[in-house]
Amino acid sequence: MPPPAPPAAGLPHPDLVAAIPRLRRYARVLTGDPTRADDLVQDALGRAWEKRALWRAGSDLRAWLFTIMHNVYVNQLALARREAGNVSLDAEGEFGAAWQVPVQGNQLDRVELLELVALMGKLPPEQREVLLLAAVEELRYEEIAAVLAIPVGTVMSRLSRARDKLRRMVAEPPAPLKVVK
Amino acid sequence: MNPSALPEADLHAYADRQLPPERAGAVEAALAGDPALAARVAEIRAQSAALRDALDPVLAERIPDRLLDAARPPQSPAARAALVRRWRLPALAAAATLVLGVAVGWFGRDAMIERAGTPTTFARQAAFAHALYAADARRPVEVWAAEEKSLVTWLTKRLGFQVMAPDLNSVGYALVGGRLVAGNEQPTALFMYENADKQRLTLQVRKQGPDVGETAFRYAVENGVGVFYWIDDRCGYALSGNIDRTQLLAVARVVYGQLAVLEAK
Repeated sequence: MPPPAPPAAGLPHPDLVAAIPRLRRYARVLTGDPTRADDLVQDALGRAWEKRALWRAGSDLRAWLFTIMHNVYVNQLALARREAGNVSLDAEGEFGAAWQVPVQGNQLDRVELLELVALMGKLPPEQREVLLLAAVEELRYEEIAAVLAIPVGTVMSRLSRARDKLRRMVAEPPAPLKVVK
Repeated sequence: MNPSALPEADLHAYADRQLPPERAGAVEAALAGDPALAARVAEIRAQSAALRDALDPVLAERIPDRLLDAARPPQSPAARAALVRRWRLPALAAAATLVLGVAVGWFGRDAMIERAGTPTTFARQAAFAHALYAADARRPVEVWAAEEKSLVTWLTKRLGFQVMAPDLNSVGYALVGGRLVAGNEQPTALFMYENADKQRLTLQVRKQGPDVGETAFRYAVENGVGVFYWIDDRCGYALSGNIDRTQLLAVARVVYGQLAVLEAK
C-alpha cells in the first residue's frame, strides 16, 4: 500500500501481512464462516492493491483496510440479497446454524467465551461490525464512523444496542446453543 | 448529578476509555454516586474483555498461503510475460494440487497449474530424501565432491541422461557430493551442497514420464523442508533446504540458469 518503495518484487508486503490476522478475525466474526472470511480478506487485499493510489500515506493502514473490507462485504451482501430476491439479511440470526467461529483453546471457560461469540452472531451485521471495531479492535469512534461511512451518532446508538442485546442474550439464552469448538 | 442526565454515549465512551478528560470527570462523579451505573460500566468492560479473550486466538493462527499471496504486489500481464520469457517456462494445463501448501508467488495465480500427481509426489520425495541425508553428518553422500567427475559420470549412466552438478559457489554453497536415491518410477540423482554455516541444500534430478509436461517453478513445504521444483525438458528438478523461501529461490535461480546454459550447448 504504502507506495514508497515496495520491498523486493513478489514478496508479500510486510504492512499488509501485519494487518492480515486482524482482518481475518474481523471477517470471521462478520461472516461466521472461516472459509468465507478468508475469501473476504483475500478480496479485500486484492481491492487494496487496486486502490492503493487512494491510500493517504501516514493514515492508519489498518483502518483503511477495514474500510475496504467493509465495502467488499456490503457489496457482496447486496449481491446476495438481490439473488435471494430481497430477503432481508439484517434479520436476527442471519447465519443461523452455519454460524461458527472455531478458535483454539482448551480452558474450561472457553466454552463460555465461544458461546458469547456464537451469540454475537445473532446480532444484526451492522451492530456486530460496530461492536467488533469498538470492543475487539478498539478503534476510536471517529475511525469506526469513517470505516463504516456512517455518522458518529449512529456508531454510538448501534454500539449501545449491540452491547445491550448481547448482554440480555447472555443473561437469558433464547435457545440451547451449539458451540463449535 | 442525576444519572439519567448522563448521556448513554458518554457511558460507552467512558467504558471504552475514549471520553475526553474534561467529560470523564462528570462520568466519574456520576458513577461514584450510583452503584448501578458503575456496575454497568464494569459490565461493558467485562463484555469487551471477554470478546477479546474469545477472539484473540484467531490472531495467532497461521496465515494461509493464499492470503500471503494476496499481500504480494500484483504483477501486470506484461511483467509476468517477461518473467516467463526470461525463465523460458511455458504455462501448462490441469488442476493445481494444494496438498503441500504450494504457492508460486512471482508468477501469479494463473501459472499455478500443473499436471496433478507426479510433481507433487516428486516434491514430497525430494523433501524426505533431503531430511534423511542432509541430517547425516558423517555420510550424507555416497561419492564426495573430490571425485565430482566420476560422480557425474556414474549418475549420468544410472539415470540415462546427462546430469550435471551446478556450481553454487556464487551463492555460498559448495558441493559436498552426491548419491543415487530410489524414486517411485525412476532413480533420482541427489547432489548435496553446504555453506559456511553448515547449512545443507540438496538438488535432486530425475527423468519424468512422457506424459508430464513442463511446469513453472513451484514451491512446497513438507515437514519444514522447503522445496522449489520444476520440470524442464522432461527432467524433474527439486531444490530442497531448511532455509527460507527467498534464499532458496535465489539458489534455485542460479541452478536453473546453469541448467539452461547446459541445455543450450
